Amino acid sequence: MLKINGLKAEINGKEILKGLNLEVKPGEVHAIMGPNGSGKSTLASVLAGREEYEVIDGDVDFDGQDLLDLSPEQRAGEGLFLAFQYPVEIPGVSNINFIKTAVNEVREYNGLPNLETKEFMKLLKEKQQLVELSGKLANRSVNEGFSGGEKKRNEIFQMAMLNPKLGILDETDSGLDIDALRIVANGVNELKTKDNAFVVVTHYQRLLDYIVPDFVHVLYDGRIVKTGTKELALELEEKGYDWIIDEFKETV
Amino acid sequence: MSTLTISDKERFLINQEGQDFSHEAKTFIKIRELALKNLKDLDFPTKKLENWKYTNLRGISKIEFRPQSAINIIAEKVKAHKIPNLDAYTLVFVNGFFSPEFSDTAEEKDGKFVVTNLNTAKRKFIKFVEPYLGFQTRAKDQFFVNLNSAFSQDGAFVYVKAQQKLDKPVHIINLVDGDLVAAYPRNLIVAEKLSEAQVVVSYETIDTASALSNVINEVFVAEGAHVQMDKIQNENKNTTHISADYAVQHKDSTFTINTIPANGKLIRNNLSILLDGTGCTANLNGAICLNGDIHVDNQTYVNHAQPNCDSNELYKAVVNDQAASIFNGKIYVNKIAQQTNAFQSNANILMSNDAKANSKPQLEIYADDVKCSHGCTIGQFDDEALFYLRARGIKESTAKKVLLEAFIGEVLDKIKIEAVRDYASALIAKNFNSKN
Repeated sequence: MLKINGLKAEINGKEILKGLNLEVKPGEVHAIMGPNGSGKSTLASVLAGREEYEVIDGDVDFDGQDLLDLSPEQRAGEGLFLAFQYPVEIPGVSNINFIKTAVNEVREYNGLPNLETKEFMKLLKEKQQLVELSGKLANRSVNEGFSGGEKKRNEIFQMAMLNPKLGILDETDSGLDIDALRIVANGVNELKTKDNAFVVVTHYQRLLDYIVPDFVHVLYDGRIVKTGTKELALELEEKGYDWIIDEFKETV
Repeated sequence: MSTLTISDKERFLINQEGQDFSHEAKTFIKIRELALKNLKDLDFPTKKLENWKYTNLRGISKIEFRPQSAINIIAEKVKAHKIPNLDAYTLVFVNGFFSPEFSDTAEEKDGKFVVTNLNTAKRKFIKFVEPYLGFQTRAKDQFFVNLNSAFSQDGAFVYVKAQQKLDKPVHIINLVDGDLVAAYPRNLIVAEKLSEAQVVVSYETIDTASALSNVINEVFVAEGAHVQMDKIQNENKNTTHISADYAVQHKDSTFTINTIPANGKLIRNNLSILLDGTGCTANLNGAICLNGDIHVDNQTYVNHAQPNCDSNELYKAVVNDQAASIFNGKIYVNKIAQQTNAFQSNANILMSNDAKANSKPQLEIYADDVKCSHGCTIGQFDDEALFYLRARGIKESTAKKVLLEAFIGEVLDKIKIEAVRDYASALIAKNFNSKN
C-alpha cells in the first residue's frame, strides 16, 4: 500500500530525512519510535503534503500512485489521513460543517454523490460514540476551546468519518491521560480491517499496549535504524535508545 | 477686458443649483442656507487633510455631476434591487428623488409610527421632523455633509413613537440611473423613548457611466430605545459614494450599525456616534470583502460623553486584486465618562500582492476609570488552518472559502435579519473571487 524508498527531505535547508525506507501492507500496524529530533514528525508531515518540507530525493508509492505528486487534498482523497500532533483551532468554522465538507469533498474526489443529511447524521452519531466525543462539540468551532484529550479524540473521530486506507497518527498519545489514551486506541482498533493500515508515530511504548503493532521501527537521524516486533518497543522502554544508536554507529 | 476665473468647487456648486426648495417651511430652508454659507469657505477634501490621507477623490471636483431626476424608471429594474425574502416597508429613491409608485409608506400606522419620504414628513409631520433634522450635521468643516444639507432632494423618514415597535423593518433602496448624476439622499430616523426599529439602507445602481452618491443618515435614539441599521453599499464601478452617518444616543439606548461596502468605485463612510446618556451601547460593525480596484475608506468616531457606556467596533476586511481598505477608528472619552468600555478591532486579510489595507486606531481618553482596547491585524490566511482543511480532503479553493466565511461570518452574524444577512453574504462570496 505504502512504499517509501530512499526518502530525503529538508526544511529551511536542513536535511531531516536522510534516506528512509518503509513498506506498509494492508492490514498492518506499524509503530515508528525514536528519540526527539530523529525525524518522526517530519515523516508524517511529508507524507501528508506539508509544503514547508522539500523532498530532495527518493519516492513514495501509495497504491500505485506517486504520492509526492499529489496535493494534500488529493492525498486525502486517495485515502491518506494524518492525525495531527497539534490539531489546529479554526475559529468560526463549526466542527460539524467542517467534517461534512470534508466527507463530501472526499466523496466527490472519488466520484460519489454527497451524503444525504440523514445518512450523514447517522454516520456522525455512530463515529462520535466510537470516540466518546460529546455531541455538543459538533456545533463548536473546530478544536477551539477543546481540551487536549478532546482535540485528539476529534482527530480520531475525523479519521473514522473519512475512513482512510492509511491512517498516520502523529504522536496522538502525547499529553493524553490513560482514559483518553484508551478511547483513542479503542477507536483505532475498531477501525482496523484487513484492507487498511496504520502508521503510529509515538514516543512512548504505553500506546502500543493498546494498539498492538505488527512492526516497530526505530527512527534515528532521518533513517530507520532498527525494525522489530512489539517486543522491541518493550525493550526500548526499558533500555532507552542509546544501545540502538551505538549499534547503528558501529555499523556505519 | 478682464477674465473671470472660477474654481472647480465653485463650478461644481453652480452645477448643483437649479432645484427649487422654495415650497419648504422656513425652518428647513434655513438649514439649506446655512449649509450654502458653510460651503463658501469649504472645498473638496484633499489628501493633505489627516482624515483624507489615504483617500484620493480622483478629480471628482472636475466632473459635471448634477442633480437630475430619472425618467422612465422601469419597474423590473427597480425590483431587481429588492432584497429577496425581506418583508419590509420599502421606500425607493432614484437619484435621491422619491419613487412613490415603488414604495409602501405607513403614515401614523395605528398611531405608532411614520414611515414615509422626508419631503412628505416636512409638510405633514413637521413637529416630528423639525427638532431633529440637521441637528447632528451642523459641522462647519465638512464639505460633503454641507453639500448634502444644501442640495438634498429627499430621503426616508422613519419615526417610531415612544414604547412602540416597528412591526417590520424599513428597507430604504437608493438607486442611481443616468449619467453624471449627483444624488443626495438623506434619511432621518427617530426612535422615541423605549421604542424599537430596524432599518436597512441599500445603495444600488440601475445604470450609470458616472455618478456621485453623497448621502446622510441621521439617527436619534432616545432613552431605552433600540435601533439597528444595516447599510449595504452595492453601486456600480462608476460611482463614488460618500456617506455620513450620525447617531446620537440617550440614556440606556442601543444603536447598532452594520456596514457592508461591497461595490463601487470609491466608498467613504464617516460614522459619528455620540453617546450622550449613561448606560448606552453602540455597536459598529463592518464586513468588507473587496476585489477589482475599489477603494473603501471607513472612518468611525465614537464620542463617549457620559459615564457607563459601551462601544464595540468590529471591522473585518478581505482584500483581493488591487483593492484598498482603510480603517480609521477614533474613540473619544470625555473626562466625566467614567466606567467607559470601548473596544475596537480591525482585522484585514490581504489576498494579493497589490491589495492594500491601512488601519489606524485613535484613542483620546480624558477619564481615568475606563476600559479601552483596540487591535488591528493585517495578514494572510492562516496557513496552518488552510493545511488542516486540505489534509482532510477539502480543495484549496473551498478551504479558502470556508476560512473566509469563518472570518467575515463573525461580523455577518451581527446582522439580525436573515434575508439581509443572506444578501450580504452573497455579495461577499462574489467579491471573494478575483476580478483579474
